[in-house]
Amino acid sequence: MMFRKLAGSLLVAAAAAVATSPALAEYPERPITMIVAFSPGGGTDVLARSFAPFIEKYLGKGASFTIINKPGAGGEVGFTAVAKSKPDGYTIGFLNLPNLLAIPIEREARFSLDSFTPLANMVDDPGAINVHVDSPFKSLKDLVTYAKENPGAVTIGTSGVGGDDHLAVLSFAKQAGIKIAHVPFPGAAPNRTALLGRHITAGAFNVSEAIQYAQEGKIRILGVMAEKRWELAPDAPTFKEQGFDVIMGSQRGMGAPAGFPEEAKNKLSEAIGKAVNDPEFQEKAKKIYLPLSFMPSDEYAAFLKQKDDQFRKMWKEEPWRK
Amino acid sequence: MFDAFLTALPLVLTWPVILAMVIGTIGGISIGALPGLTATMGIAVLIPITFALDPLPALGMMAGIYQGAMYGGAIPAILLRIPGTPAAIATTLDGYPMAQKGEAAYALRVSLVSSALGGIASAIVLMLLSPPLAVFALEFGPGEYFMLAVFGLASISVLLGDNAIKGLLSACFGLFVGIVGLDPMTGHERFTFDSMHLVSGFDIIVLLTGLYAIPPALIMGEKALRKGVSGDVLRLKKTQMRLREWLKFVRIWIRASVIGIVIGIIPGAGGNVASFLSWNETKRVSKNPKAFGTGIPEGVAAAECANNGDSSSALIPAITLGVPGNAVAAVILGGLLVHGMQPGPALFRENPEIIYGFMIQMLLTAFLMFVLGRYGARIFIQVLRIPPVLLATMIVPMTVIGVYSVQNSVFDIWMCLGFGVIGYAMEKLDISVAPAVLALILGPMAESNLRRVLLIGQGDVSLIFQRPISLIILALTVLVLSYPLLRYLRQGRRRQTV
Repeated sequence: MMFRKLAGSLLVAAAAAVATSPALAEYPERPITMIVAFSPGGGTDVLARSFAPFIEKYLGKGASFTIINKPGAGGEVGFTAVAKSKPDGYTIGFLNLPNLLAIPIEREARFSLDSFTPLANMVDDPGAINVHVDSPFKSLKDLVTYAKENPGAVTIGTSGVGGDDHLAVLSFAKQAGIKIAHVPFPGAAPNRTALLGRHITAGAFNVSEAIQYAQEGKIRILGVMAEKRWELAPDAPTFKEQGFDVIMGSQRGMGAPAGFPEEAKNKLSEAIGKAVNDPEFQEKAKKIYLPLSFMPSDEYAAFLKQKDDQFRKMWKEEPWRK
Repeated sequence: MFDAFLTALPLVLTWPVILAMVIGTIGGISIGALPGLTATMGIAVLIPITFALDPLPALGMMAGIYQGAMYGGAIPAILLRIPGTPAAIATTLDGYPMAQKGEAAYALRVSLVSSALGGIASAIVLMLLSPPLAVFALEFGPGEYFMLAVFGLASISVLLGDNAIKGLLSACFGLFVGIVGLDPMTGHERFTFDSMHLVSGFDIIVLLTGLYAIPPALIMGEKALRKGVSGDVLRLKKTQMRLREWLKFVRIWIRASVIGIVIGIIPGAGGNVASFLSWNETKRVSKNPKAFGTGIPEGVAAAECANNGDSSSALIPAITLGVPGNAVAAVILGGLLVHGMQPGPALFRENPEIIYGFMIQMLLTAFLMFVLGRYGARIFIQVLRIPPVLLATMIVPMTVIGVYSVQNSVFDIWMCLGFGVIGYAMEKLDISVAPAVLALILGPMAESNLRRVLLIGQGDVSLIFQRPISLIILALTVLVLSYPLLRYLRQGRRRQTV
């Protein structure tokens, strides 16, 4: 009873405080919601949770972020939530490429690139095709040979329809002339777990999500979808080295709904830039294997536009969802 | 490994860490006791605060909240038939009838002891068996998940009992609610009516609080109108329990702990399912299954022991594989990450004192919960003294605040109130709401995993029947489904011989 009354009055007081929020006098004056469109434990979630405190530090004034996971349908659930949120400066979200751009191309979505205010890019994480360490496949060639002999028998898990893993797998299958079974999972962590449990032949997930398990000798990275080998995984060959022109990755940045207040946009973009260059964060990023690549707001907007054109062209040539 | 625990123990037994665990446990019990507020939310809110702390006090507080909330959920479940957390649904089945009989104090006592024992058993398993059990978690592929969901759904159908049609209506309602939102495999919209609020589907808390918290408030208001305002007399029977009386629970506790621990290890299932399966299993093996649901302490013990039994074991895949077993484990992972610790195999090598310390904390907070819960129960039970009309006017705003805080969505509040009206109608028509809530958890799990099986097998479902674990679950499902029939046949034979 006493507890209930006390807790009750506290909650009412808190609700009242939230309800009375005037214009952005001293941004930020309440917690900022940060939407992550993927399940907990995946790459984006790891980034959000370890990065938020650093942006908080550079935003100052006791700024704080509330991280909310809204996984599902390759990120559409979360992106829609960001795009449709009130542009009041208090909801931002992680924008994941190519999902963000692929979804409105494939279907009628409630957002397009124009629904967002790009804030900054932070990470460029190349994709990879990985197998269990006990798998007989030692190279992409082995996988292709087997797939040619057994069409459709190779199952490749991805973190959702229309994600970079999915597009890369399709592009790879097309180039190699093989037929594979695509198995979508709700995010990278369940995909990796399914690979560790040998429920799928191969798993397509990013190198940052594969590296720790590769170092522990639990999985083998068959190919990295980047121009060059990654410094933290020098033994993992690229697709290009093995004769496949597949360059795909997931870029993770931050965006806000269109019509986001200019002041909030500038403050956030600046804080993100400072946070990415913070030596402590750089050290931390290395510890949790994050390939950082910062782009400020304008550069990021141009990059998004260029990628959007590229994917639209890809879709015209061959749609990845029929 | 014991060296590691001995190194970590002195670090855990320092005043700041102990204080953090005590505060966490008290906070956890209170959070759990308030409908709509869950351990997940409590810990998520706490993470930014813990950033200023050292890792061990921070994790100690999280451990306390986690353990405390699992027990706290039972308090309103017993006193008001409103489960404080989804894991406490099964507790309402026997807990509330006990309170109606004037045995509220006894029910709270049983639930506290059972919760503490489940929590202790689970923590010990976490400490001693993490690496081998993580391997077990990996064995769960789409086929196994599908069968587990089917097993859960089959258990629901048995729960329906004498009122099968009404129960099926309720379960189908839950399954339908689970369909709403984006198709997990293709991203197509289902029953979203072009409303973006429906794209993500319904949060379990919205349905739970709507169906469970609103109808009692409406009914209390109704009664108050009829009877006028009057304070209930607090009828509490003396409950001096002797050791001998506790012994009858031992087998139930063992069974419930095992169920809780096993379900906990499997990522995605969690305490909601564990407590219900445990209650059902205890009922099934009981000599007097009809008594379950009428207010017997065995039912409370089975449910409460299992929902704490999953608490530590859900952390096993989280800290060994980086795969959270439930929503709480996911936020705890977040807590580890902000302290610069990447979950996975390397964690045990690089930060042994932290990770083994955290395991010790899970054990200690289970004991703390027992000590603090005894005092807490005395305070909480006073809620029965509040006149229904006042209580009803307190429950509704508390629920609304809880639901809002899940996704900070006003739309969710309307949905919750809408479900409240449906729940009130179900109550009047004598339709149980438990199948609806459980179907919402299990339906989507069954659907997406069946479709993954079909993708992997190129349209062939035989994958489900080729693996040992799914075969075992299949056998259990058949057993659960045929049990009522077997009992019926046995009774028939007895009747004939008589």
